[in-house]
Amino acid sequence: MTAAIEKETRTGNITLAALRRVPRSVWPMLAFVVLFLVGGLLRPNLVSVDSLVGTATFAMILAIASFGQTVVVIQAGIDLSVPNTIAFAALSFLTWSGTIGPVLACLASILSGAVIGSINGTIVAKLGLTPIVTTIAMNGLLFGVVLLSFKNSELTDIPEFLTAITAGKVEVFGTSIAAVLPLGLVLLLVLQLILSYTGWGRSLFVVGSASETARLAGLPVDRIRISAYALNGALVAFAGVVIVGFYGQAFATMGAPYLLGSVAAVVVGGSTIFGGRGSVVGTLGGALVLGQVATLVNIANLGSNIQQLFYGVIVLLVVALYSRRTRE
Amino acid sequence: MTRLRREGAVPPIAAFIVFLTAYIIINPGLLTRFQLQTAANLVVPLALVALGQLIIVLVGGIDISIGAIMGLSNVVFATAMALLPVPLAILAGIGAGLACGLLNGFLVAYGRLPAIAVTLASAFIFGSISREVMDRPGGGITTDFYLATSGELLMFLPASILWLSLAAVGLWLLLHRTAFGRHIYGVGSNAESVRAAGINARATTLGAFMLSSILVSFGAIMLAGSTLTGDPRSGDPYLLTSIAVVALAGASFSGGRGSIIGTILAACTLGLVGSLLFFAGVNSYWQYVIAALIVISVVGIPVIVRQVAAAGRRA
Repeated sequence: MTAAIEKETRTGNITLAALRRVPRSVWPMLAFVVLFLVGGLLRPNLVSVDSLVGTATFAMILAIASFGQTVVVIQAGIDLSVPNTIAFAALSFLTWSGTIGPVLACLASILSGAVIGSINGTIVAKLGLTPIVTTIAMNGLLFGVVLLSFKNSELTDIPEFLTAITAGKVEVFGTSIAAVLPLGLVLLLVLQLILSYTGWGRSLFVVGSASETARLAGLPVDRIRISAYALNGALVAFAGVVIVGFYGQAFATMGAPYLLGSVAAVVVGGSTIFGGRGSVVGTLGGALVLGQVATLVNIANLGSNIQQLFYGVIVLLVVALYSRRTRE
Repeated sequence: MTRLRREGAVPPIAAFIVFLTAYIIINPGLLTRFQLQTAANLVVPLALVALGQLIIVLVGGIDISIGAIMGLSNVVFATAMALLPVPLAILAGIGAGLACGLLNGFLVAYGRLPAIAVTLASAFIFGSISREVMDRPGGGITTDFYLATSGELLMFLPASILWLSLAAVGLWLLLHRTAFGRHIYGVGSNAESVRAAGINARATTLGAFMLSSILVSFGAIMLAGSTLTGDPRSGDPYLLTSIAVVALAGASFSGGRGSIIGTILAACTLGLVGSLLFFAGVNSYWQYVIAALIVISVVGIPVIVRQVAAAGRRA
């Protein structure tokens, strides 16, 4: 009898151990598949390629806006200047593309994002201010800059080149999808390779989980931090350009949904808010979960307000689940 | 004075004195009855919400849902004003905020979840609920209520200043003259030894979240009084500003350090940047840039001074 129980608990432990070995980024993807099937049970015609592409497009835009956040969170920081970095990049892109052409303007926007990020990183790493305070101050500063430097705070004249690489349609296996999907996938692939296989990428995880140890081991912690914020700034600025291309307009408060949205996608994607753990693949999974919830709420006719409620509950559930597993 | 220095309140007090001097030189009209009242109504809700954020920061947390709690309390109060007598409406507004604080505090203290993650999630939830309560600005706030919260009590004494002072003195007594207050500082500075000393750290954290949400609700009601409306989005700008105020006040975000007076003066400084620029004839959009620079320099300069001093000693 006791032997049987022992055996049972042992198999239980083995399953648990096996479950724990599954990469974290698998869980949000799995959750997305489950939610997708739930949608199918409610409305059978929802299980279609079109509906999948629709959700994926929405999720990909959120994911692109959250990739930078993932990088910062891995090295134990947070970026609350995402909204106005997006607005600044989008508005400056549209302003510059008239004179220097869309490609150069895009590069210039990304570069200015990198400058914004490295200022954040320098203040955090060298002055020792908390990332929350630093990036909030930066967010406020950028809001002022946006309002002061763009006389028309709403621009809608989008260069064709940009529309083509974001909202333009691409035929893949006979299905027409928005160009932002393959664009985001390429970005995702490059970032994941950098994070997993380069020395710099791996050092982010070390700095995020034990910065003192990293310092003692001779890693240039400050420089790693600053470069992480710089990459984040560049990625967020790129997201701003993509968002303006896809939605066809830019205005001063266009980034507001991405303040909590980017953190939510990162957390649901399995990153630990205290650093040392996370992946951009997971973040896409998190964005897909949030996107599918939006789709489900939409077909149930509950309105965007209830969607926010579900987002909150999901983030809470995910945080509770992950912290329970790490504590065991 | 020693306590002020220990709590990091000296730089924000100095910043406030410099700011106020500049303000009065540029705009002596601040000292007229009307302008004093306007300025007070602008600053008091921010000061109350920032005090709420301070309490959470003291126990080593941070509250991302503070704007959403403020919005919910604001709309519940404004809705209740149309139906109930004033004292009950105030209770309803504070009760709504307190419920939010209880949920956050329970999850953080007893669920042992990180405050930043819990309040991120609850920001979505509370925001959604408050837009269900009231989807556009409205509510039944009366002129009498405006006069009681935001009018003039005596000549040159705005009523809102009295309410803020009452809250601040009450909070000061609670934090510095009761065991609960000492526990709040203790949990933030050294949770382990507090637990070893037999103090219930969890109950203290829960209590801190409750106290914070009451202060935030008070701020929400004051805001409703001075604007004569309830608005589900009224709290949104206060999330980032409340954190900036607490940073400017010299509080430590790892907990255990931060002063009430520093927070109130920091709220006055950041709250009045916009109107100072207005009177100086500068484009008021500069207020965002200047507020950010004030926060970074007041928080950053002492750090640089310390680093330079340390480098000097080593050389």
